[in-house]
Amino acid sequence: MLDRIIKVYNEAIFDTDRDRALQIVHDAVAKGVSPEDIIFKVVLPAMDIMIKSISENFDANLAQHFMTAQIADTVTSEMLARFKTIPSPAGRMVIGTARGDMHSLGKRIVIGCLKARMVEVTDLGLNVAPEHFVEEAVARDAGVIGISAMMSHTARGDQGCLRVRQLLKERGLENRIKIIVGGAPYRFDTELYKIVQADAWAIDGVAAGKVIVDLFQEVQS
Amino acid sequence: MNTGMDRLSAAINGVKSDRIPVFCNLIDQGARELGMPLKEYYAKGEHVAEAQLRMRVKYGYDNVWSLFYVGKEAELLGCANILYAKDGPPNVEDFVIKTYDDIARLEVPADITAHPAFAEEAECLRILKREAGGKYPICAYISSSMTLPAMLMGMEKWLELLLFGPAAVRDELIRKCHEIFVKEIKAYRDNGADVLVYSNPFGSTDTVPMKNFLEHSLPWIEKDITAVGTDGIVYYCGMSRFNKVIDIVLERVGIGAYYLSPLDDIAEGKKIIAGRGLTCGVINDLKLAEWTHDEIRAEVKRLINAGMPGGKFLFGTGVMPYNIPEENIRTMLEAAYEYGQWK
Repeated sequence: MLDRIIKVYNEAIFDTDRDRALQIVHDAVAKGVSPEDIIFKVVLPAMDIMIKSISENFDANLAQHFMTAQIADTVTSEMLARFKTIPSPAGRMVIGTARGDMHSLGKRIVIGCLKARMVEVTDLGLNVAPEHFVEEAVARDAGVIGISAMMSHTARGDQGCLRVRQLLKERGLENRIKIIVGGAPYRFDTELYKIVQADAWAIDGVAAGKVIVDLFQEVQS
Repeated sequence: MNTGMDRLSAAINGVKSDRIPVFCNLIDQGARELGMPLKEYYAKGEHVAEAQLRMRVKYGYDNVWSLFYVGKEAELLGCANILYAKDGPPNVEDFVIKTYDDIARLEVPADITAHPAFAEEAECLRILKREAGGKYPICAYISSSMTLPAMLMGMEKWLELLLFGPAAVRDELIRKCHEIFVKEIKAYRDNGADVLVYSNPFGSTDTVPMKNFLEHSLPWIEKDITAVGTDGIVYYCGMSRFNKVIDIVLERVGIGAYYLSPLDDIAEGKKIIAGRGLTCGVINDLKLAEWTHDEIRAEVKRLINAGMPGGKFLFGTGVMPYNIPEENIRTMLEAAYEYGQWK
């Protein structure tokens, strides 16, 4: 039954039909699927299928990523309230857009997807100073800092990832806190994350969730 | 001697001039050219015009721009705060639409040419027309009806309204954006712009699924272009890919020029266009700062080899990042002039 639910749920996502996707989840719960299974055996596998589809050059797009994140966010909030035991967080991270960058969409997609992966995320908002990224990461015991940038100069600039890296280095935090970057400039130049000294990048907000969970494991090990 | 206009006209008509047209979109670089900060540079239309004319002569490419920065359109509709950087394009800092009620309150200026936000662009166009008119194509940038809302309320809120929001509110906003689009096109044409870059990421299946494109984007593209005509219009999706929709846009709307994404397959795009319009092959200029001399030349050669055979081809750049060294800009352009020659 779960395979069929994943299939129709993902079809609704690809059609950007939120109401249908939510209905599928609610029907499944009514038929006895546990809230835990909805998250871990429907929503997350559906995300992984989307990531796989994208890597195979399937026709997935920004609206579908946004829809995936929105629904994951909504369903996770609903289901978590019904969990028998609240799972401990898979990790903690802070996320924001680089200094000078006012583009919030990518960050929102990442946050929605991370919620379903049980990651505790603090949204630092837009136009975030590098010092603020580091201070908040330390204050919240975050293992990952996420920096979103939609423009070349905010991705590469001296008040973006490069400065965050410098601050982590100065404070001896590089083993404890990893940096992930994302946004259009990184898609057009897949080596750019190395130039700005990030630890990782993701091609889109949905894929970012998995990369971030891998980074937590790196920090823990 | 051939001018940029000669080369562009020849390419559109499928005849050969000395070489293919080469469009280089240096925008923020104008401030460096005049030795001033971006905020001071963009305060005056005469600065932008002077820098555009100087850079065209310096590098020898075929076009000039009247574009200041994309957020200018939001200023026409009331945006008061623009965030300036020292090394990149200004951003809209304060969105005009914060709640759905603001959409009902949004006023389209009766005469945008009388609006202070247009005055300096008009001055820029006046100088460009006087100095380059008829010789070098003067480009203007206009957001489509579906795209301007992203500048007014942010992409996140716009996508939310488009996908989940009340249809009546969504349609009212697009309708108002269509009104401003029509007025902008008329103003740019009246003031001397020849090439009107119709920017529409929602015209790409990288942004919305085909179903959504057919239901929403395409009908508004048809309305936009039917209202202003196809003369000088260039289909551009903000660096997103659009090979999958070229055929339907050509058939239904009749736009005659397509400025592809650097991620599109140029040969495939040209095959789809099949002589019915101009194919513009675009280099991935986000990599230009790091590429070596040889890598730049190889990439230019690859793009021109894919698109030039059979003519009706233009070589172009995206919105060139500010940090690209002059030497790399020259290397790219010299390679384009060399490989783009008609023997």
